[in-house]
Amino acid sequence: MEAWSKISRMPAPAIKKLQEELLTKMLKEEMAVRHPYYRNLFKENNINLDEIKGIEDLGRLPFTEKEELLPREDDRRYPKKYVLEVPKEGEQKKKKKGFALFGKKDTGPETSDYKFHTLYFTAGRTAKPAPIEYTHYDLKNLKEAGIRAFDILDLDRDETMINAFTYAPNAFFWQMFYSTIELGSTTLQTGGGKVLGLEKILKAMDNMEAPVFVCAPGYTVFALQTLEHFGFSAENLERVILGIDYTPMEAVEKVSRLMEAIGAKDNKVQRIYFISEAKSGWAECKPDFGYHTNPDHILVEIVDPATGAVLGEGEKGEVVITHLDTRGTVLLRFKTGDIATGGLVTEPCPNCKRTVPRIMGDIERKAYYFELQGSDGTVQFNGNLLRKQMLARDDVLLWYAEIKKDGDLDFLNLVVKGLSGTDEQALLNSLEQELKEEFSVPVTLESATLDAIANKIGLEKYITEQVFFDNRAQ
Amino acid sequence: MENWEKLSKMPYKEIKELQNRKLRAFMANQIYLYSPYYSDLLKELKIDPFKIKGIDDLRHLPFTYKWDIAPTDEEPQKAKDFVIRPDEEVTEKYGHLAKMSMTGGKAMVEEKVYDFKPVHIHFTTGRTALPTPFVYSKRDLENIKEAGYRLLDVFEVTSDDIVINAFPFAPHLAFWQTFFAGEKMDVANFHSGGGKIVGTRNLMDAFEYLRPTVAVFIPGYCYYFLREAVKQGRDFSSIRKIFFGGERVPPGLKDKIKELFTQLGAEDVMVLATYGMTEAKVAWPECPSHEEYHGYHLYPDLEVFETVDPETGDPVGEGEEGEIVYSSLDWRGTAVLRYRTGDIAKGGLLLEPCPNCGRTVPRISSNIQRKSELKEFSMTKVKGTLVNLNNFFPLMMGHPDIEEWQVEMRKRNDDPFDMDEIYLYIATRGDVDREKLVADLKQKVLRDTEVSLTDIIFKSVPELVSQLGMETELKEKRILDSRPS
Repeated sequence: MEAWSKISRMPAPAIKKLQEELLTKMLKEEMAVRHPYYRNLFKENNINLDEIKGIEDLGRLPFTEKEELLPREDDRRYPKKYVLEVPKEGEQKKKKKGFALFGKKDTGPETSDYKFHTLYFTAGRTAKPAPIEYTHYDLKNLKEAGIRAFDILDLDRDETMINAFTYAPNAFFWQMFYSTIELGSTTLQTGGGKVLGLEKILKAMDNMEAPVFVCAPGYTVFALQTLEHFGFSAENLERVILGIDYTPMEAVEKVSRLMEAIGAKDNKVQRIYFISEAKSGWAECKPDFGYHTNPDHILVEIVDPATGAVLGEGEKGEVVITHLDTRGTVLLRFKTGDIATGGLVTEPCPNCKRTVPRIMGDIERKAYYFELQGSDGTVQFNGNLLRKQMLARDDVLLWYAEIKKDGDLDFLNLVVKGLSGTDEQALLNSLEQELKEEFSVPVTLESATLDAIANKIGLEKYITEQVFFDNRAQ
Repeated sequence: MENWEKLSKMPYKEIKELQNRKLRAFMANQIYLYSPYYSDLLKELKIDPFKIKGIDDLRHLPFTYKWDIAPTDEEPQKAKDFVIRPDEEVTEKYGHLAKMSMTGGKAMVEEKVYDFKPVHIHFTTGRTALPTPFVYSKRDLENIKEAGYRLLDVFEVTSDDIVINAFPFAPHLAFWQTFFAGEKMDVANFHSGGGKIVGTRNLMDAFEYLRPTVAVFIPGYCYYFLREAVKQGRDFSSIRKIFFGGERVPPGLKDKIKELFTQLGAEDVMVLATYGMTEAKVAWPECPSHEEYHGYHLYPDLEVFETVDPETGDPVGEGEEGEIVYSSLDWRGTAVLRYRTGDIAKGGLLLEPCPNCGRTVPRISSNIQRKSELKEFSMTKVKGTLVNLNNFFPLMMGHPDIEEWQVEMRKRNDDPFDMDEIYLYIATRGDVDREKLVADLKQKVLRDTEVSLTDIIFKSVPELVSQLGMETELKEKRILDSRPS
C-alpha cells in the first residue's frame, strides 16, 4: 500500500491510473501465475488478460460468489484454491551485490510475502464462514488499513476505549486490536457481550472512565437503553464507533439521542464498514459522508445485483470488490451481497477533503430482500427498511421478524419487547399502523419477554443479532 | 530483558546478581516513585527502598494478598494503585518526572509518561472477588512477547510450525500469551477463540484445513474435542505437539489424550504443560519430556519467585514444598511485590540446571496445586472438613473409566443451616461394572479429599457435557457450589 498522506490527497484520475496499474499487475503477475482457481478460469474460458487494459474492462471478467469460497464436505481444503501459491525457487528475488545494487529495481516475488501467517474467517451471517488466509504482507496491510481508519475517525493515543466488537477470528476484531495497539490508546478488548456479558462491559466502561465505545449498532442501542437497569452511568462517554453490522443513519441518530440522554451533549457517533473478504474495514469521517476506501488495496465496483451491469457514480447497487494488493486469499470481482444505497463517488470528501473513493449512503443486506406471496401476486419486502424503522423508534428495546405462511399466502410476524415503562399494547398498535402504511404485506404483531427475544436473536450468542427468520419452509 | 540464549545458560550465581541489580533499580526508580500502593506502604513502614540490596532483602517487605488488589464495590479503583504510573496524579505526590528531563521540557515529559501508559488489559477470573485488571504498557507487551518466545523455544516450536490456539477468547492471560508468543516467534497461527466462539465443528474443520503441527488447549475441552473428532473420523495426523494451560495435566489424562490422537492419525504427540498467572502477566513452560517432570522454566530477568510456608510465611529451602510468592521485576503497568499466589509447589523451587534441557534458569516444580484451578473453592469446608477439591482433578481426569465428571456441593433440603452434601456426577468410558466403579471412586475420593461422597450419579456423556457447559462456557464448570449462602 502507498503512503496514506499521498493517496488520500491524490486526484481521482491519478488514483484511477494507480488502480489500473495495480490491477494489471495483480491479474498478470499473480492471478494468472499462482492463483489456482483464476489461473484455470482464465485458461478454460480463453480470457486474454491483455484485453483488460483498465477498470472499464473488468466487466469482461466473471464474478466470484460467496458460496464458492466455502469448504466442501468432501474437500475441506477446497478454499485453498483461492490462495496464491508460494513462488517457486527460480522465481525468487536474487540478492544483488556490488554495482548491481544501483541498477533496475527487482521485480521477482519475495517468498515471505506469500507464506501463510494467520487465518481469519468471514462472519458467516448469510452463509457458512469461509476461511480467508493472511500472509505477513496482508497483516501489514490490515494494520495500515487500521491506522488509516483511525486517522479518518480522528482518534489519538490519549483515548481510553472499550472495544466491544464480538471476538471472532475475523478482520473486524483484529483490525481494531492492531489499530489500538499501534495508536497506543488504553483499550480493553472485551470480546463483546458473547464473551464478557453486558454488565461487565458497562462496569469496565465506568471503572475505566472510558470516553470511547466501539461496538455493533444493535448491541450499542441495547447497552445504552439498559444502562440504568444495570446501575451504570457511562458518564465519561463521548464517542461511539459503530461497526461489524450494517449501520444505517437511523442507528447513528438513535445512539446520538441515547448519548445525549445520559449527558453526552457534544457526542460523536461514527461508522466503520467491514467486509471480511476485503481484508479490512473502511471508516467514515462524519456520518453520511461515505466510507473512505483504500484504493491502493481494494478496487470497488457497484453493480446491478440482478444483471451484474456496472453502475455509474452515486447509483445504488451491490458492492463488488477486487483485491489489488493482497497475498494469501485473493479475490477477483467478489460479490459481497451488500447494497450501497448511495453507490460509489470519486469526488473529494466535502468534509475532510480526502480524495479516495467513498461508498455512500447506508449499506443494506441483499439477504434481507424478500419476495412474499400476496393475494395480488408477488410482493417485494425490503427487510432493511423495517430494520431502519425499528432502529429509529425510541420505544423498542428488542425485536425480530418472522416470515410465515398462511395457506398459500405469506405474512410478516413481528415480535417486540418495548422499552421498560412502555405500554406494550399501545406500542403494538402504533407499530401495526406504521408497518401497514409502509409495507404492502400482511403483518401480525406480538410482544414477548426480553429473555425470549434475546435468546431468539442470539443477542450475546452470535457476532451480531439475527432479526429476520424466514420460516416459510417449515 | 536479557537475551534468552545467554540467560538460560548463565550460572545461577550470575542470575542472582542480575536479579539483585534489577531489583535495586526497580525498587528505587519505579516502585518507590510511581507505584502509589507500594510507595505509601514503604513510607508507612519506614522502609528505605535503597536498603533493598537484593532479592534476599525481599523478605523485609510485607506480603501482598489478593484482597489488597481486588476491587470492591466500595473501592472499584483499588487496582489502579498497583499501576506504575508517573502521571500527574501520582507525580504531584511522589516527585516530578520533569526533573529527570533537564533539556526536553514538556514534550519530553509527555513522551516519558506515555512510555508507562497502559495499552492492554487482562483480568483475573475470580468468582467471589470482582475481576482484577492487570495492565500492560507498550514496553510490557515486549515482555509478554519475549516470554511467549521463550515458552515456544523451550517447547521447541519454530517458525516452521503452524499453531492453532484453542484457548477461549477473553481478556485473560492464556489466550493473549499464546497470541503474543506467536507474534514474536513469527509462527503461522489460527487464534480460534475456542469452541464457544467458533463452534466445535468449525474448529475441527480448521484443523483439517490448516493441518497444524501444534495445538493449544484447556485440558477438559481438549479431551471432549478429541473424542468428538474421533467420532466424526477426522484426520489430525499433522499434530506433533499439544500444550495445555489453565490447569494441571495429570498423567492419566496425558495418556488418554495421546491415545485419542493416535486414533486421529497423529503418532507420538508430545503433551506439554504451562503454568501462568494473571498477576505475573506471563506463563512459563514445563520442560518437555515424555516420561519425567522437570519443572517449569522461569524468567529470572522478569520476576523473582520465592517459596514460603503457607502458614507462617517463612521462606522454605530449595526443593521444599511451599506456597509460591511472586514479585515483579522490570515491568511497567501493574506490578506486585511478594504476591501470595495460594499455589503450592509440591517440589518447591529448583535452582540447579535442568537435567533434561540443561537450561540454568530457576525452575518451579511441575507438581503445583493450583489455587486458581478452583479459585475460592479450592479449600472449602464440606461437612465441617476442609476439603481440597484440587484433588478431584488428577483423580477424575486420569481415571481410565471416566469420560466426564462434575462435582456439586449442596445443602440438604437446600437449607443454608443444614448438612453439606457432595455429589459426584460421572459419565463412563464405554461399559463398565458400575458397582465396582462406585466402590473404587468412593474409596479414592475419601483417600484423596478426606470426605465421603453423598452420592455418585451416572449420566450420559452428552448430558454431562451440556451440564459442564463445554460448548457454552469460557471454561467448563467442573466444581459447582450450589450451597445457598
